[in-house]
Amino acid sequence: MPRATVRPFLIALATASTLGLPPGEGRAAAAAAPRSTTHTVLIDSLRFDPQVLTVKAGDRIVWVNHDPFPHTVTAQGKSFDSHEIAPGHSWKYTARKAGEFAYACVLHPTMKATLRVQ
Amino acid sequence: MRMMGVVIATSLCLTTAAAAAEAPSDAQIAAIVVTANQVDIEAGKLAASRSHTQDVKEFAKRMVVDHTGVNKSAVELVTKLKVTPQDNPTSQSLKSGGDQNLRNLKGLEGAAFDKAYVDHEVAYHEQVLDAMDKVLIPNAKNAELDALLVKVRPAFVAHLEHAKKIQAALAGKS
Repeated sequence: MPRATVRPFLIALATASTLGLPPGEGRAAAAAAPRSTTHTVLIDSLRFDPQVLTVKAGDRIVWVNHDPFPHTVTAQGKSFDSHEIAPGHSWKYTARKAGEFAYACVLHPTMKATLRVQ
Repeated sequence: MRMMGVVIATSLCLTTAAAAAEAPSDAQIAAIVVTANQVDIEAGKLAASRSHTQDVKEFAKRMVVDHTGVNKSAVELVTKLKVTPQDNPTSQSLKSGGDQNLRNLKGLEGAAFDKAYVDHEVAYHEQVLDAMDKVLIPNAKNAELDALLVKVRPAFVAHLEHAKKIQAALAGKS
């Protein structure tokens, strides 16, 4: 009995999805979507994770502080600097310039990581 | 100098005493964690206001902020778990060691103050890490309490390294 009711439902779903968009529409929408990607770096237990992140120029990176005290994301030479990120907060940065950027937390100098922008 | 030796000797005995004692309960571990942080917050507040050395002042401020953050997490967790921190010989020994350190520091100024504060910070963080590894983490029964200890452990490691760097820099100056 349950099976008999499930089947028409599935057929209805399949029909709806087939008819929902003209052929090719889905692909066109995907191609039009912005090319930049958002990457996340977790800050947890005094560690940046991942330690090395490779992104494309134009991508956005979000650092999320999971520790109960502030941290910073500060590039050597200060090409980017979050200043203090409070516990539970995050900082967003759009990487525009290609290169390899070593960064650290100025409050906890043992915390180091690298951002590679291609 | 002699006083400093006493303070460090007292703190170093703590772990041995704690390890020899019976395994602490979660309520006792909670009291140890809160007291350990509190002691370092108080020393940090004193050093931030009394030291004239930039590195020492900044380190002291960092200790106040970080240990306050750790304590906030610890208090939130024990409140959620409905655990009431229970005083025990280890937390009491930490408290009296902290009070003794404050009394000692209050009688010092300038380079002698910086040295005494930083030396004690090195000894304190070594002692707390030892207690975490040998007593607190192995005995925490609640998974969230255990996870919190594991999560904040690297902060104590980073503070210890930072304190050792300042200790070496101060020794180079004199």
